Amino acid sequence: MQDILVYIALGLAIGFLVKKYFFKSKKKGNCDSDCGC
Amino acid sequence: MKNNSVVHVALVGNPNTGKTSLFNLLTGLNQKVGNYPGITVDKKQGKCKISDELTAEIIDLPGTYSINPTTLDETIVLDTLLNKNNVSFPDLVIVVAEIENLKRNLLLFSQIKDLQIPTILAINMADQMERKGISLDIHKLKEELKTEIILISARKNSGIDTLKKEIENYKNWNTEPLATISDKIDSTFFSEIKAVFPEFSLYKSWLLITQQNNCSFLSEELHSKINLFKKDSEKIKKYQHKETIFRYQIINEILKKTYKVDRAEATDLRSKLDRVLTHRIFGYLIFTSILLLIFTSIFEWANLPMDLIDGFFANLSELAKNNLPSGTFTNLIAEGVIPGIGGVIIFIPQIAILFLFISILEETGYMSRVVFLMDKIMRRFGMSGKSVIPLISGTACAIPAIMASRNIGSWKERLITILVIPFTTCSARLPVYAILISLIIPNKRILGIFNLQGLTLMGLYLLGFTAAISSAILLHNVLKIENKSLFVIEMPNYKLPSLKNVFYEVIEKTKAFIFGAGKIILALSIVLWFLASNGSSTFKNAKQFVTSQEENNGLSDANLQKKIASYKLEHSYIGNMGKIIEPVIKPMGYDWKIGIALISSFAAREVFVGALATIYSVESEGEDVGTIKERMAAEVNPKTGLKRFNFATGISLLLFYAFAMQCIGTLAIVKRETKSWKWPILQLTGMSALAYVVAVIAFNILS
Amino acid sequence: MSATIANLRVGESGIIEEFSLDLIPLCLLEMGCLPGKEVKLLQIAPFNDPLYIKVNGSHLAIRKELALQIKITKL
Repeated sequence: MQDILVYIALGLAIGFLVKKYFFKSKKKGNCDSDCGC
Repeated sequence: MKNNSVVHVALVGNPNTGKTSLFNLLTGLNQKVGNYPGITVDKKQGKCKISDELTAEIIDLPGTYSINPTTLDETIVLDTLLNKNNVSFPDLVIVVAEIENLKRNLLLFSQIKDLQIPTILAINMADQMERKGISLDIHKLKEELKTEIILISARKNSGIDTLKKEIENYKNWNTEPLATISDKIDSTFFSEIKAVFPEFSLYKSWLLITQQNNCSFLSEELHSKINLFKKDSEKIKKYQHKETIFRYQIINEILKKTYKVDRAEATDLRSKLDRVLTHRIFGYLIFTSILLLIFTSIFEWANLPMDLIDGFFANLSELAKNNLPSGTFTNLIAEGVIPGIGGVIIFIPQIAILFLFISILEETGYMSRVVFLMDKIMRRFGMSGKSVIPLISGTACAIPAIMASRNIGSWKERLITILVIPFTTCSARLPVYAILISLIIPNKRILGIFNLQGLTLMGLYLLGFTAAISSAILLHNVLKIENKSLFVIEMPNYKLPSLKNVFYEVIEKTKAFIFGAGKIILALSIVLWFLASNGSSTFKNAKQFVTSQEENNGLSDANLQKKIASYKLEHSYIGNMGKIIEPVIKPMGYDWKIGIALISSFAAREVFVGALATIYSVESEGEDVGTIKERMAAEVNPKTGLKRFNFATGISLLLFYAFAMQCIGTLAIVKRETKSWKWPILQLTGMSALAYVVAVIAFNILS
Repeated sequence: MSATIANLRVGESGIIEEFSLDLIPLCLLEMGCLPGKEVKLLQIAPFNDPLYIKVNGSHLAIRKELALQIKITKL
């Protein structure tokens, strides 16, 4: 039982890290450099 | 029963008008900070009860001098107000102005008014009017501006109820544009625009044409029409300038009739203070003293809370282990999760204290003077005066520091700032420095007063700082990015800091750190724990293998356990990883156990010490564990029989940590803020290479 | 006599002349730095950059390179 919980936690952790680093941002921001003033 | 209805309110205004104070007053603790999708700007929202039937959802838009944006966060103001489908598009706008700079504040006001969204003007710092000899004909002003005006003082909490009462009435507000400047500029041109976009207010159409944003909310058809207008960029630029000039003319006319200042421009507090604080010599002296004060405070005041937090989490871990049913999940909690969370929480004292100081200095208006004093110097290094605060913040943690660089207008200056911040000695390196210094540097005094260990620590700080500015110069010369250095900053009036605002600001920044870095660190701690507690079949058979090996050696039970634990660690996944990198790290003087700690500290640098503790305590499972320092001092290199943590290895490690880019949290933030993988990868490879080379050289010279 | 803001000494004032729109960014105008307005130099940072000026009621700091673009008639 405990082992199952561990694997779930591990899965969530890895999933989170992957999402954070490989998730492509949905919307491209409007200006990423200074908006020429 | 009538349900509560909700009205969406946007707060706009120049910086330094007390807009934030008003927001805090209206929303109190019912505020939250989030993110605008796809863009790295904080979104501040809150709820406020206007009346029994009406609740306001208030969004505090970034302060701006004009609806034409010059920095990233100012684009939010434009986007929010132009797009009716924007989730934050308001039902009404409160423009916050302040009594002394009313003229300039009214520029933004006039632009907002022309968008024909119900608008109200709140003139803040009204309590200062008499003192400054300012008199205002409110009645006439309301008439001229065609808007309801409320005099408020956020500081004294006055006028707020009147403001709320007026908000109840918002549907009846006058939404005529303030003035028809279009005819003065070029009536033909603007009539054309009006004809093409009948459904938009004229000013809105004009903004759509003049702005760079991609108007993605418009239909294809409208989009192409706009692009047609955009073609004549020279004309557009000229008209924008004219628009501003005409707006000010109108504002001037109005203020002539309604606004009087009764005092000569005498030497007031501002000029007196400025003369000292921006003085060639005293200005810098004062700034340096303030910096020293900040650093000393951070290190002194933070110590006690940090020790308390450390103890608390250690106890919590024990508690978990003893009271939860034994098994792998309990181990995960006690050895992975709890220390992981503790590792994040322990930074709160330092970060909170640093931001306390920064926030107070910001509130008083002093920060602009700092930027003023430091700009020329910083430009030598490719950065801006506005880079000073982020660099200083980097000594607490690079993550909020990098976020603080958002207000740097020039992209090149901002990028360089972001890239070099990780070189500054962040507080996560301190536990590593502390333990290594105490191991290898004698606790002696030289010249009677200077503690050798303290000097080493200071030396490391200087090293980090030097590395930061050196790489800044390098990047400045190497990066081929156009440096559109546009630098116009307001030098606001000095005022006493509002403790309430400071309080909210510190909470915000601390939360940002905890939830930004915290989640990553926790996730990584779980993964690393797993890797250290599991392995392939060799790992699984550890107990059997070692027991049978030692069968005839008559080991005590405790020692047998120790050998099993040690064998397990060596053959766990992380042990394998450590072994794999051992040949690479050997030239620096490290072994696979240190290798494990190095890998683990990728989650967060301070994990290095914790990881070593784990390795050594995991090793001595079932045996009493001395403090980590004693344990490290006792560790012996099996090949040479000498101490593992000798002077050469110690210095090598110190230098490695000074230069290595290891913090995954920082990498994530850099990627987010620069919107590309290019830069974090560059940082990672560049800094790691530097760290490696320096550590190897140091180790070889010293041993 | 023709000069720019950069030629002012601390405490001196001048009136801003018409300027070329290409050289002056819009945001400076929006801050109140308009032709015909009086500008006073309040302080210069060490190394002569940036300049702390008062113009049209606003207290601003601008870099020297920008100050050099704004012509004034000294008072």
